Amino acid sequence: MSALSAVVYREAKIRATNVTFIFWDLLFPLLYMLVFGVGVNAALGAPAGISGVNYNEFFLAGVLAMASFAIASNTSWSFFLDRDNGIFYEMLTYPMSRSEYLLGKVIFNVLIAVLQAALTLIVASFVLGVRIHWNAMPMLIVGMAIGTAGWFFFYAIFALSTRRNDVFNAVTSIFYFVFMFASSMFYPLGPLPRWFRITAYANPITWQIDWLRYSSIGLGNFRSVLLEGAVFLVFSIVCFAYAVRCLQQQE
Amino acid sequence: MADVTLEVENLVKVYSSRGKSPVRAVDGLSFSVPRGIIFGLLGPNGAGKSTLLRVLTTLTRPTEGTARILGIDVVKKPLEVRRRISSVIQETAAELLLSVHDNLLTYARFQNIPRAEAHSRAESLIDEFQLRAEVERKVQDLSGGFRRRVQVAKVFMVNTPVLFLDEFSTGMDPILKRQVMNRLRAETEKGRTIILTTQILSEAEELCDDILIINKGRQIARGDLSALKLLSQGVHDILLTFDRLPDSIAAEIAALQPIRQNVSGNSIELTLKAVEGRVMEIVTELTRNRRILHVEVHGASLEDIFVELTTHQKEPA
Repeated sequence: MSALSAVVYREAKIRATNVTFIFWDLLFPLLYMLVFGVGVNAALGAPAGISGVNYNEFFLAGVLAMASFAIASNTSWSFFLDRDNGIFYEMLTYPMSRSEYLLGKVIFNVLIAVLQAALTLIVASFVLGVRIHWNAMPMLIVGMAIGTAGWFFFYAIFALSTRRNDVFNAVTSIFYFVFMFASSMFYPLGPLPRWFRITAYANPITWQIDWLRYSSIGLGNFRSVLLEGAVFLVFSIVCFAYAVRCLQQQE
Repeated sequence: MADVTLEVENLVKVYSSRGKSPVRAVDGLSFSVPRGIIFGLLGPNGAGKSTLLRVLTTLTRPTEGTARILGIDVVKKPLEVRRRISSVIQETAAELLLSVHDNLLTYARFQNIPRAEAHSRAESLIDEFQLRAEVERKVQDLSGGFRRRVQVAKVFMVNTPVLFLDEFSTGMDPILKRQVMNRLRAETEKGRTIILTTQILSEAEELCDDILIINKGRQIARGDLSALKLLSQGVHDILLTFDRLPDSIAAEIAALQPIRQNVSGNSIELTLKAVEGRVMEIVTELTRNRRILHVEVHGASLEDIFVELTTHQKEPA
């Protein structure tokens, strides 16, 4: 337990002393919602094929998932920073297991993601008038926590498998594009071509978004959301196991 | 058994990469280190010192063989080993985004040191390592020398029984280096075992109770300084300073086939292997009819032994 708290303490210290990190972690997805979401809502109104929901409401879950995704991506990039500083290898000689190291990083990032989600929900509710299902908050927190953890482990696999951060940056750019746009983040999947829908349903971020959409505004089918959540959990566990393996192979 | 800190048996580490022939960075090393000493690991670049340290600090798994720290296997129980060691790796490793003070406190947190104790130790080390003026600055804003101070200061935050130092004095000024060396000596008196690598042989000569010289991953020599000097019996250092460097001196020295030589200004420094009587004859020949300002002859230094053993690649002593 002390190793986990030490990693959380370290992450918190580093983030707290850097304004840039605070901006990216807490405010970036929020600005996305306020600028992009409000713009699309004003221009197009309700998303196609879904009645009784305006674009701000529809996009809210996308913003929350985007926050998970971005926090995970930024944190996994910190492996490169630590490697460049030399501290990465020194930390691997500290009295903690490789899984404690990864879990410690995740705990901190889950806290950030939940804080970010709280900010987003407050702004969405009070500034944009989104009707939030406050009674489903525990479910939403679970979605943010497992989502952020799963994406972090997923990204950690790539960050730990390559030594070159230009390669990693190229990979994350592709991931950003593919995962976010081939999903239900920005638009409902119903009106889209069949091949696109199949791709989107095979995309783990769609599973997370559907969970978050159901728990934030009550849109979706509970059974299918539950199934998507279970599959995402399996995805996260597999990524965690593989990330620990990659960490053990660091030489 | 309790008095043995480190036991290494037939340790092998092979690095394989696609399209390249495998490299045996550590090739069948066996040795043990008793408790409470400073153990020096010497060797030229690429000898396998850092790889060996990486295995011992659980960063790398050996390909074959075993290594035990205080009787605990580094592969089977790496976490238990990590609880008993602290290390300064070769690169300057510090939390660049944190202040000097936070670097020490964060390290203490990982080592499970109670908060009050951590603050008190940090304060004392900040003074000892002359970091007071920089204490609130982020390490990324400090010079390389100061970053190294922070890195080395950290390992004195803890009392782990084993301390690994890879080229610890890199970037340190001579005064601080002297201070750290004294501190290391004091730590062994408390029972800590220090395992260090260094390229600065005078440092090893002064500091190490026991030395292992390796090259190409294999043991070349082992023992304390006097034992190693016996391996190099007959090696002498000669230092001659002339009022003016004689024209023919280079050829004269070359004819003696020295182990090494260095000409600097009017001075010539050479190391050669010869019986004592012959050394005196050589000095006489080189100085005959020449004006000499300074003559110095002494037995082999660790550097001489190191050069002789690693360049002639003697097999296990």
